[in-house]
Amino acid sequence: MLVADHLIKQQMHTPDRIAFSENGRDTTYRSFFVNAGRISHVLLHHGVRPGDRVCLLLSRGIDAAQGIYGILFAGACYVPLDPQNPASRLAYIMGDVRPRCIIGIGACPEWCDASVEWIDLNNPQLFGDEQHGDIDGVYRSSPEDLAAILYTSGSTGNPKGVSISCRAIDAFVFWSATTFGIGKEDRIASLAPFHFDLSLFDLFTGVYCGARTCFVPQSLTLSPKKLVAWFDEVAITSWYTVPSILGFLALRGGLAPGQLPAMKRILFAGEVFPLPGLIRLAQALPHVALYNLFGPTETNVCTFWPVQRSRLETLESVPIGGSACEAELMISDSGELLVNGPCLMSGYWQEGHVQALDHPWYHTGDRVSRNDHDELLYHGRMDRMIKSSGYRIEPAEIEAVINRFEAVRGSVLVGESDPICGQRLVAVVAGKSVDLEALRAYLKQNLVAYMQPYRFVQLQAIPLLTNGKVDYRAVAGMI
Amino acid sequence: MHDELKSFVFRELVHVLDETSFSGDDDLLEAGLDSMGIMRLVLFIEERFGVTLPDEEIEPDNIQTLNRISSWIERHR
Repeated sequence: MLVADHLIKQQMHTPDRIAFSENGRDTTYRSFFVNAGRISHVLLHHGVRPGDRVCLLLSRGIDAAQGIYGILFAGACYVPLDPQNPASRLAYIMGDVRPRCIIGIGACPEWCDASVEWIDLNNPQLFGDEQHGDIDGVYRSSPEDLAAILYTSGSTGNPKGVSISCRAIDAFVFWSATTFGIGKEDRIASLAPFHFDLSLFDLFTGVYCGARTCFVPQSLTLSPKKLVAWFDEVAITSWYTVPSILGFLALRGGLAPGQLPAMKRILFAGEVFPLPGLIRLAQALPHVALYNLFGPTETNVCTFWPVQRSRLETLESVPIGGSACEAELMISDSGELLVNGPCLMSGYWQEGHVQALDHPWYHTGDRVSRNDHDELLYHGRMDRMIKSSGYRIEPAEIEAVINRFEAVRGSVLVGESDPICGQRLVAVVAGKSVDLEALRAYLKQNLVAYMQPYRFVQLQAIPLLTNGKVDYRAVAGMI
Repeated sequence: MHDELKSFVFRELVHVLDETSFSGDDDLLEAGLDSMGIMRLVLFIEERFGVTLPDEEIEPDNIQTLNRISSWIERHR
C-alpha cells in the first residue's frame, strides 16, 4: 500500500465518512475517490503516462486535493505551483519540470508553454457522463516512483525541484500517524499551501487514518480571534503549522486555558519558534501536546521534540530533539547535521529527470549540537540560507535577479534579525549609478513578495577577500 | 498619520508596482497583506500612535484599505 492506495482502502472501509471539508462543502471518502478517479481518467485521456509530471495551478482546497490524488492514480507525479508566484518564476519551473499537463481553473495563463496541455476543471465538458468509481484504472505505484516535486529556493539562482518518492511520503505518513496517534475521529486543520512540505500531513496522513481534513478559510488567517473561534466550532483536534501563525494566535487570539477543548495536538515546523511565544502558547493551551518538528524539504521531518512544558523556562532555545521517521542522524566534524533514512528525497529535479544523490547522507547545511539530555539543538545555517516567516530563501536566487538590473556591478543579500519574521532581507548593491527606486519596482515584477528586500544599501563595490571571494563579514559590518 | 502609515505599509508589508497610484481605498489584502503583515502592522500602530487595538477588531474590515486603517486608529485615539 502506497500513498494514494490508502484512499482506496478508506473509500472501501468508510465510504460515507467525511474526508475533506472546505467552507461548508463536505466530501465523503467515496465521492472524493470517485472525483479523483475522474480526474485520473481525464489525464490518461490527455496522454499522461506513469512517470509524467502534472502541474497544479490551484489554491489549497478540495479541488486541488482531488487533483493530486487523480494525478497519483494516473501514476504521475504532482507539481504544485504557487499562483502567487511571478510569471517568470512559474515559467522557469514549467521549463524545468516539463509537465505533460497543467491542471487549473479558467483560462490558461499567458506564461504557460503552449505545448503543455491545459486542463480547466471548470470546463463542463471535461468529465462527460462517466462516473469512474472503479479501482481497475488506478496505477499501482512502486516505492521509488516519484509522487511529488516541490520547488524551493535554490542556491544556483533558480528554484530547484525536490523530488519526493512514494516511499518517502509513506514513511512520513506512517511515522506521523503512529507517533501522534491520529485516528478516524480526528479533525485536522489544513492551512499550509500544497507547495510546502507541511501539507503532506494534511493530504496524506489524514486519509491514511480515515480522519477528516478541514481547510482553514484563508480570510480567517487575518483575524486571530475569528480563527480561534473557527477551530472551536469545527472541533479541530490536530494542526501542523508554522510558528509565526501560532505566535500570532498566542499573542492576539485571546487564547486562555479552557479554550479549544477538542484540540489534542499542535505540530510546528519551518522556522525557529521564539521561546516567549511558545511559552505563551504552552500556558494558554495546557491540555494540548506540542511538538517541534524539524527538517529541510529534502529530508522532510528528520528530528522532532515533544515539548516538555516544565523545561521551557530554563531553555535557551527550543530543542529539535531526536530522530523522526526512522532517520539516521550524524553530526560531522564541522557540526553539520547529516541525515539518511526513508524520508530522504530521491534527488533534485533537473531538466527532465532526477539527479540522484551521489552520497547516502544528505548534508542539511544546518549547524547542530547535542545537549545533556541527548537532544539536538539547532544553531543556524552553515551557508547563507535565510529563513523569513517560515520561507526558505537562498540569497543567490535574489542576487541573480538583482545582478541583471542596469548598472548593478554585484550584490549580496543578507538577513538581519527581526522580532516578527525571524530575519528580514537587506540587499547590498554595488554600483553608484544604480537607480534604487527603479530597482525596487523591477524586483516587484520579478520576485515573490517574501523575497523582496526590506531595505537596500548602495556601495561602490562589494568588499572581497584576498582570494577574490565575497567578504561576508565586512558586508555584515556595513548594513 | 496617514502618510506615515502609508510609507510603513509600502516599505514593510506590501509590494505594489506603483505606490503613487495606489489610493487610500485600494485593497491591501489583494495586494498581498498577509497575517504576518497584519501582526507587524498592529504592533507598529500601537507603538507609534500609542493606541491599544482590541484583539477582536483585528480583522479584514478594519485593515483592508489605508483609509480603513486610519479610521480604525482614529476610533481608538
